[in-house]
Amino acid sequence: MTSLERVLCALRGEPADRRAFTLTLSLYGARLTGCPVREYFTVPRRYLEGQREVVDLLDPDILFTPFVLPFEALAYGGEEVWLDRFAPNVRKPPFRDPDLAEPLGEGLLLDPGVGYLVEATRLLAGEFGADRPVCAVVTAPVDLPAMLLGIETWLEILLFDPERAAAFMHLSEDHFLRLTAALFDAGATFLACPVMFANLRLVTPGLLEKTILPTLARCFGLSRGPVVFHHGGNRIEDHLRHYAELPNVPGFVMDPRDSLSRAREILGPGRLILGNLSGPALVRAAPEEARVLASDILADRAGDRAFILASGHADVPFDTNPDTLLAVRRAVLDAGAVT
Amino acid sequence: MTVGNTTDIEKLKETLFSLMLDAEREGAVAMLLGFAHERGFQAAVNDLLEPVLQRVGEDWSRERISLAQGYVAGKIAEDVLLAAVSSHGDLRLDVKGPVVLGNVEDDYHSLGRKMVAVFLRAAGWKVVDLGNDVSPAAFVDAALEHGARVIGVSAMMLTTAENIRAVRAELDARGLSGRIRLAVGGAVFKLRPELVREVGGDGTAASAIQAPALFDRLWAGGPEGEGT
Repeated sequence: MTSLERVLCALRGEPADRRAFTLTLSLYGARLTGCPVREYFTVPRRYLEGQREVVDLLDPDILFTPFVLPFEALAYGGEEVWLDRFAPNVRKPPFRDPDLAEPLGEGLLLDPGVGYLVEATRLLAGEFGADRPVCAVVTAPVDLPAMLLGIETWLEILLFDPERAAAFMHLSEDHFLRLTAALFDAGATFLACPVMFANLRLVTPGLLEKTILPTLARCFGLSRGPVVFHHGGNRIEDHLRHYAELPNVPGFVMDPRDSLSRAREILGPGRLILGNLSGPALVRAAPEEARVLASDILADRAGDRAFILASGHADVPFDTNPDTLLAVRRAVLDAGAVT
Repeated sequence: MTVGNTTDIEKLKETLFSLMLDAEREGAVAMLLGFAHERGFQAAVNDLLEPVLQRVGEDWSRERISLAQGYVAGKIAEDVLLAAVSSHGDLRLDVKGPVVLGNVEDDYHSLGRKMVAVFLRAAGWKVVDLGNDVSPAAFVDAALEHGARVIGVSAMMLTTAENIRAVRAELDARGLSGRIRLAVGGAVFKLRPELVREVGGDGTAASAIQAPALFDRLWAGGPEGEGT
């Protein structure tokens, strides 16, 4: 079976020759190729070279486009920060004054950082997309304003200024649809969208129902391809009922602290679940620990055809031991076929 | 509003708690100011605001309520404190401390720090807030200038949390560790509690509402904060 066939089996709840798996190894390609991070995340060809090494090392069933959500916000301005062993981040949000925020419209795709994301997707899909899904990672439309304004300002607007909140949601929807259309045109198989401001650990029930879910439903419904809902750093097991009816969402990446059994109970049979290794925690895990962690998850999901072993939270850290990653793969192979 | 007996107070606390959870900032503030008008700001804070904030804090630490609801609670507390100051009422402010707060060098995520400042002020602490992107030397200089025995440093991400090591190094270099204690906080410390020790923190709190208790302990030189 190819990776694409294996992932489609999980999506359809069908048997497969083995469990599909992936780890978020966007940054890790820089380590494997020895490419300076700044070059890796600005030159699409360097990113492709890094992902070739990821495939050679681990042969994951899903590849990721550059996991650099800050590029989406930096297209509007602001200040970036580059560090040796991390993806770049937003040092200062683009807008101190929310009244200064303007939609970029067609200009979004002309931004160098966004252009890099799209071109890296095109290269990745061109080389691997025929037999291995390419997942493009994008900012949730309900989270983009927090990156443009800072969390405090966005929270203040969401809570106390509904008209301005609606204007930002409109900007975000336009941004999301333009960017994701370009990523699908470039060959992305599906999107993974980490969503933070749809969690009742961040927002109130009123905001979730009246503002957040309608925005997500509009954006995901208009997306040109499927959107996998990513937990975004918070547990979502107890929130799944809110997200279950979102259109165009075939699956959910669960938080490493979530119970996959409970998620399956809530979602019912057949809905795709991905998870729930912690990507950042792998840097501290010895190979045998990682193998046991992965094996335990696989044993828990042994009878669940609609499951893909995947890492959650953020990217796998630069300093992670390659043997730890290989131990995860070994656990997958040891678990055998999905019957 | 007439406040008669304990039952009335309990009802008011329930109402205030509900208003906070529903993000009804104006209603909650009006209620507290009405109470203050009748019984004084000190009573409004001691009998109503503080116990409700305590409950909000407990629920927040157990993830029963959201960041937004905690934020609204902080704004309500801030509104009442501002009203108390401008009314020159009976509320005893700045009776503890001072303490110094700031976001560590390269960090511009101010929400947590501002919320900590609000809850510290509501608990009577004098707060010297240095803002974002504060250098290690500026933290320590400010602590010495104001006689602060606790510095609170905020960092949201792992990349900036690493910069807290330089604040610890600055305290060590000036022979102040032990005399000036280092409270650390931010989203990353909830995900990776072991970071508190790794970056040289003396303690942390699970939420902004629990910061006053942490600062009480650190100021007294007592046991370190939750999460350490």
